Amino acid sequence: MSETQAKTAREEWGTRFGFLMAMVGAMVGVGNIWRFPYVAGQNGGGAFIIAFLVLLFMLSVPGLMAEVALGRYTGKGVIGAFRDVVGPGGLVGLGVVVVLVNVALMSYYAPLIGWTLYYAGHSALFTFTGAGFEPGTFLEAFLANPALTISMHTVVVVATAVILFLGIRGGVERVVVFAVPALVISLAIIAIRGLTLDGAAEGLAFTFGIDWNYLFISTTWIEALGQALFSTGLGWGIALTVGSYLREYDDVPLGGGVFTALADASVGVLAAFAIFPIVFAFGLEPDAGAGLTFVTLVQIFPEITGGALLAIVFFVGFFLAAFSSGLVITEVAVTTVSEETRLSRNQTVLAICGLIWVLGLPSALSAEFLDFADFVFGSWGLPLATLCIIGVVGWKLGPERLRVLSVNNNAGLYIGRWWNAVVKFVIPGVMLFIMGYYAYDQFGTPEMIAGMGVLIGFPVISYAVMHYLEGRDGTPSERTVAGGDD
Amino acid sequence: MFAPIQLTGEVWATMIFTILAFWGIAIWALVRTLRQEDRKVELLEHQDRIDTYSPRALSDLREWIEENPDDSYAPDARRRYNECVETLEEMDRRFYDWSDEEIAALERLDDDRESSTGA
Repeated sequence: MSETQAKTAREEWGTRFGFLMAMVGAMVGVGNIWRFPYVAGQNGGGAFIIAFLVLLFMLSVPGLMAEVALGRYTGKGVIGAFRDVVGPGGLVGLGVVVVLVNVALMSYYAPLIGWTLYYAGHSALFTFTGAGFEPGTFLEAFLANPALTISMHTVVVVATAVILFLGIRGGVERVVVFAVPALVISLAIIAIRGLTLDGAAEGLAFTFGIDWNYLFISTTWIEALGQALFSTGLGWGIALTVGSYLREYDDVPLGGGVFTALADASVGVLAAFAIFPIVFAFGLEPDAGAGLTFVTLVQIFPEITGGALLAIVFFVGFFLAAFSSGLVITEVAVTTVSEETRLSRNQTVLAICGLIWVLGLPSALSAEFLDFADFVFGSWGLPLATLCIIGVVGWKLGPERLRVLSVNNNAGLYIGRWWNAVVKFVIPGVMLFIMGYYAYDQFGTPEMIAGMGVLIGFPVISYAVMHYLEGRDGTPSERTVAGGDD
Repeated sequence: MFAPIQLTGEVWATMIFTILAFWGIAIWALVRTLRQEDRKVELLEHQDRIDTYSPRALSDLREWIEENPDDSYAPDARRRYNECVETLEEMDRRFYDWSDEEIAALERLDDDRESSTGA
């Protein structure tokens, strides 16, 4: 591969495995662990799993292929890739929207990673198996202590910056090739222990029992849509950024599409075998959401043989899942800002991580604010970013162009013309449907009003800024793209 | 030590299906793509470049070029097409499943659009 390496000064993934682990590490987050098993169990078990699998192949796999292929073809971060497609001007602002959403996402995710770090640290101190330990009081005391929450937030942001300083190959890749397998191993260890408990079968029956009637209920499909689209991180700029560091002869559809989507979902499946048998064996509530991790599960560690070690395995795995996602989410902004400004990579890392730290302070100080930000950006910001990326591929670049030029170039799997219609019509249509459904469901709430602010404010401001900056620059477009070609 | 797990046949069937459908396909994709990577590295060590499109993919690329000769991306498409054809003609070993007859039937496209379209 020496010739390939010599062809570009831009960094590349050192190994194929490194690229794959970066994709999976970015996409697997805390939601995979607590959300998938519960949502499956609540929506018909096996019926939900079938709906989820169908949507994964119909939407997530083709969508991820499009995003990775765009990154690989342009060899640039989000804003540069958008400029290559739409030409200089205000529309490049759509790329700015994606970057802003990622920075906003990381601003409340970093404090949450801080929670997992705090719990991982205390698991190593055997706090959870100590005498008189009260999980609810412990969490409340942590959240009520600003010095602690801000310290954890700061440690996470500094650790992220240090790794990003080391670059793609020396930093991000080195971490994810260990973090992702370690997460899988930790869940597997917990699954082995959980499945040997009396009453574990109830947890399996909850998630994997089957009620076919749920296939005919709209909420089953809406929940499956949410899981398929949001769990895989489709259209957040992550796959585009990770894909932009691919080597010349690397494949896109098999690794960037099929493997990424299925591996991400597989972690959720593993969590179903790891967490829910324990939850049901101890008669705990399965619908506690994030509280399942920080309150509910914590109380059973003292009651299990080897619980102290199990707590370490669980919280270290949980931290790795969250931290590897945060690392790559931050890289989205670092890559594109360092390309678009005169800042060096290290200066960009400092600037972006500093901004994330400042923006993250409200979420570090208030769990309510964190929830609010998560709801607003989860419901509106992320679908907006997905619409920007898939919209640019589907309606400006044209999927057939991307398919023949990049998707099937060095591909490990041939992608036929069916893919064009999915990228151009199905994914944008589904995203619009989901946003419309959320608007209907949350009509008039503060979350919906803030979401509308994001939905309108981000594109308008980004368009205006880029229109001004690109117009001032006056650089002529290398390519004038009239519109989609199919 | 522990009680055997008592589950209905339906739950067992769903679990097995789920493991095969998710973990099975993910592991298949991982193994396949890593093996393909090994094969590419082996070929690149031997001959320093490899064919970049499968027969079907190259046929699609040519069809697109012929249908969109004036497209702003057509020069890049022609370059990619010609690079692949040259590699197939000059290299002994191929990554994709090309037959000698298929390679013999390939023609390079003129890089200059006007001559390629006969204008």
